Amino acid sequence: MTTAEFIRSGWSWGGATLPIAAAALLAYLVLYRGTRRWPWFAAALGVVVLTLTSPLNALADGYLFSAHMVQHILLLLVAPALLLLALPRTVSLALRPRWLGRPWVGWIAGVGTMWLWHAPSLCNAAVTSRPIHALQTCSLLLLGTMFWRQTLAPREAERLSPPVAVAYLGGACLACSVLGIVLTFSPVTVCSIYAAPVVDRLGLGSLVDSRWGLSPQRDQQIGGLLMWVPMCLIYLGAILAQVARWFAEAPRPSGVEI
Amino acid sequence: MSQSPAKPGELAPHRIPVEALALGLASGSAATAPGHDAPLLAGLWSPVRREHWTMKWLSTVDHKQIGMLYLVTALGFFVIGGVEALLIRLQLAGPNLHLLQPDTYNVVFTMHGTTMIFLVAMPALFGLANYVVPLQIGARDMAFPRLNAFSFWLVPFGGLLLHFSFLTGGAPAVGWFAYAPLSETPYTSSSSVDYWALALLVLGIGSVGTSINLIATVLTQRAPNLTLRRLPLFTWMMFVDSFLVIFAIPVLNAALVMLLIDRQLNTHFFLPPGGGTPLLWQHIFWAFGHPEVYIVALPAFGILSEIIPVFARKPIFGYEFVAGSTVAIAFLSLLVWAHHMFTVGLGHAVDLFFVAASMLIAVPTGVKVLAWSATLVGGRIRFDVPMLFCLAALVQFLLAGLTGVSLASAALDWQTKNSYFLVAHFHFVFVGLIVFAILGAVHYWFPKMSGRMLCERLGKWTFWLMTLGFNLTFIIQHFLGLAGMPRRVFTYADLPGWGWMNMVSTVGAFLMGVASLLFVWNLGRSLLRGRVAGDNPWRAWTLEWACPSPPPPENFTSLPPIHSRRPLWDDAHPDQPDPVVGTHGALDTYVPERNQTAIIAFIFSESAFFGVLILTYLYYNATPPAGPSAHDLNVLKTGLFSLGLIASSFTLWLAEKNLTRGRLGSMRFWLAATVALGAVFLFGQASEYATLFQSGVGVSSNLFATTFFTLTGFHGLHVAVGLIALMVMLGLALAGDFKSAHPPALKAVGYYWHFVDVVWIVVFSAVYVLPRLR
Repeated sequence: MTTAEFIRSGWSWGGATLPIAAAALLAYLVLYRGTRRWPWFAAALGVVVLTLTSPLNALADGYLFSAHMVQHILLLLVAPALLLLALPRTVSLALRPRWLGRPWVGWIAGVGTMWLWHAPSLCNAAVTSRPIHALQTCSLLLLGTMFWRQTLAPREAERLSPPVAVAYLGGACLACSVLGIVLTFSPVTVCSIYAAPVVDRLGLGSLVDSRWGLSPQRDQQIGGLLMWVPMCLIYLGAILAQVARWFAEAPRPSGVEI
Repeated sequence: MSQSPAKPGELAPHRIPVEALALGLASGSAATAPGHDAPLLAGLWSPVRREHWTMKWLSTVDHKQIGMLYLVTALGFFVIGGVEALLIRLQLAGPNLHLLQPDTYNVVFTMHGTTMIFLVAMPALFGLANYVVPLQIGARDMAFPRLNAFSFWLVPFGGLLLHFSFLTGGAPAVGWFAYAPLSETPYTSSSSVDYWALALLVLGIGSVGTSINLIATVLTQRAPNLTLRRLPLFTWMMFVDSFLVIFAIPVLNAALVMLLIDRQLNTHFFLPPGGGTPLLWQHIFWAFGHPEVYIVALPAFGILSEIIPVFARKPIFGYEFVAGSTVAIAFLSLLVWAHHMFTVGLGHAVDLFFVAASMLIAVPTGVKVLAWSATLVGGRIRFDVPMLFCLAALVQFLLAGLTGVSLASAALDWQTKNSYFLVAHFHFVFVGLIVFAILGAVHYWFPKMSGRMLCERLGKWTFWLMTLGFNLTFIIQHFLGLAGMPRRVFTYADLPGWGWMNMVSTVGAFLMGVASLLFVWNLGRSLLRGRVAGDNPWRAWTLEWACPSPPPPENFTSLPPIHSRRPLWDDAHPDQPDPVVGTHGALDTYVPERNQTAIIAFIFSESAFFGVLILTYLYYNATPPAGPSAHDLNVLKTGLFSLGLIASSFTLWLAEKNLTRGRLGSMRFWLAATVALGAVFLFGQASEYATLFQSGVGVSSNLFATTFFTLTGFHGLHVAVGLIALMVMLGLALAGDFKSAHPPALKAVGYYWHFVDVVWIVVFSAVYVLPRLR
């Protein structure tokens, strides 16, 4: 098939994604009726739905490692951030037990999940096994939310102070860069399922390989580069937002002016 | 408008004595008590016994003198590097000249590049930082004065090491970035490259020391009301720059170490016959090399951000944007190194990502240029010499940025790679921005350093000759490059245009030489006979101008109130002060502990070093090489010894806990246990090594052995250093020290020791565990 045909036909509307998204939207509108932040929630849902139902999803399902990486980035970094921004500013996200809310826990959640899901066995399993794939999707969303909670929690008091947040995000950027570097330059295939897809369910094999010219090596390279450069740019954007927040004048009426 | 000089014993109005500020700090409040008597600190400032001027300068730990030592050293090496440049230009003045032998020419351009970057630009900028930063933050000295002195003396030592190679069979001729395999033994058998690598290691250690010192100083030594968001931009840029240094230099150190191991121990990190690849050198070198150019550019940006507002008589436009874009540049600079490798064949995918990232870095840089330009608009510009240099730097940097952005396009880069277009670009950055900024800074801060003004007329002659010479030299090189002239060629054929263009460039270079001579003459003459400067000859606004010129050893006896970014403006204009830069959040007044700050910075730098070694190990062992492999290692035995090392972290934690509870006896016991466990671990490593040696596996057996011994060897070295530190602590504890319950020193050593453990966990997983999982 051609690229155009694929884009038209590669959508997967079946499955649990749409019902769950609808339920989430309902829950949000009921819980936080009247809030002006609903566009953020719509954006978050839009990202999740598109990621899981568009042709991107079809490609990530055993054809292209780089497509899986795009999904990964959207689910781990973009959707959770939008979700947190959608919460009204008075919602408290204090966690019980308290240690779950510690910065290093959030950091390890966000960074660790990325490293974990690229262990070769886990990476392959997430493609071949439906339950593990669902687990992967849910873990990315959940742990991504735990990561972003440290800097995007609705209440100012629950957030890290900007200089600490810069270190937090910078460290995450470095950690994902290292994995990205490893994936880009690795002489071995990390996620072998993408190198030789077991079943060519959608007949995309020739499209991907010859039309788009994406050999498995190049595919892994691009996947690694996606994790390296664009992912870091997302973290960098967040860092700049923190720096802007730090320099913004917010005089406290009760505070002592020194 | 300038402060009336205080009579001895009397404070200028509105000034707060430093003793009161210090006491205020100690009691946790910002209370002020003008005239408060502070007998505790008087003894610190009593005059010292007179010593001979040589001993004074050789043994000084005063940041001001160390800063001046850096600058004088940089000047000396500038003359040497400059002579090398003139030799290059003489040889290239016309086609087919034979002034220099080809090999000599290679030596000259290698030494020119290495000298100018590592022995001129970095020492000069860090020397300025050394001098200015403590003054700008109202501090008495750097956080670690002796480390400061040590870091300085590594510069002349490194310079001597590098130039000693002239006497031992020739200086290096491999280019300042010493690509493998040319820099490897088969192609360069003389010891020149070894001296080069050792010199750079020495210089790098000094730079990291200075940067750790700067980070600790800015975080812990600020005057109480000088919050981080009120920092002068030069200090802010040096602060951010220091983080870049502590990440980038250790990456270079890792590369140099691997090169030295290749050359001395017959290994093949970068040699294809043994399984290595020269590409790895390029990656690691440029992962250092690109941040390096920002390491020298950020201080220049800081200088421009100080001088331009003062001489435009306007506060800087968009302080927050300049400060924030600095952070963006620092992070982005770590991400773009592959644009030095567009022609190496990494593949279109890699190239494209780095094209995008490299072009992105132009955005925050452009923000700065816009901010400086906007500062000039509407200002009452005074064209004094510092401003002239900075204006030229601004325009020249703009051009450098434009050629830089075009080079970020892989397609254009392919056409101009290693041509004079590239040479012109980076000289516009290094000379057009950085040297001009340094010259401006010296003219600006010389009055503070010496108490005398530089001669304005000589300064203007220096400026115009330098600007004319510089532009003559390098603008024409853009066209030479586009006409096809490659770099690093000792001569060229008589192609149309090449001859006269090179001649113009040579004439320009000699004009720069004349300008430099004028500058040195100005320095000497003004030191002896310059006009007396006074505290604040430029009517500037930051704290370094609030003390006498030159400052007394303690820098400040009193400080003006600090509510904004321009304390001296507020002091002189109480009716129209700057808007108060607010304080919110605990972090504004939080002062971390000095030793722990330094150790954490050191841990960051060591993480970068180990990171490179670990990645190299993973890369070379992704497919197991023929010969000895990880399966020849004894996982069980080493695993047991590793448990010992992890246990030692636990015992050290127990020691700290006992210390905070005042139980010195238990503390000594657990400390001794830590030392013992650490020693046991080292013994285990030694026995692993012995087993391997006995079965004939040496460092040069194959790439597995090489990477294994390098990685675990350096880790073992770090364990040994940690053990020495712990034994010093133990010795002090046994001698009855540690009376206070919260010793920062033990905590700092504890951080280091835990770090060494964490590194071992990663190394053990990668080396011993991972192969067995496949």
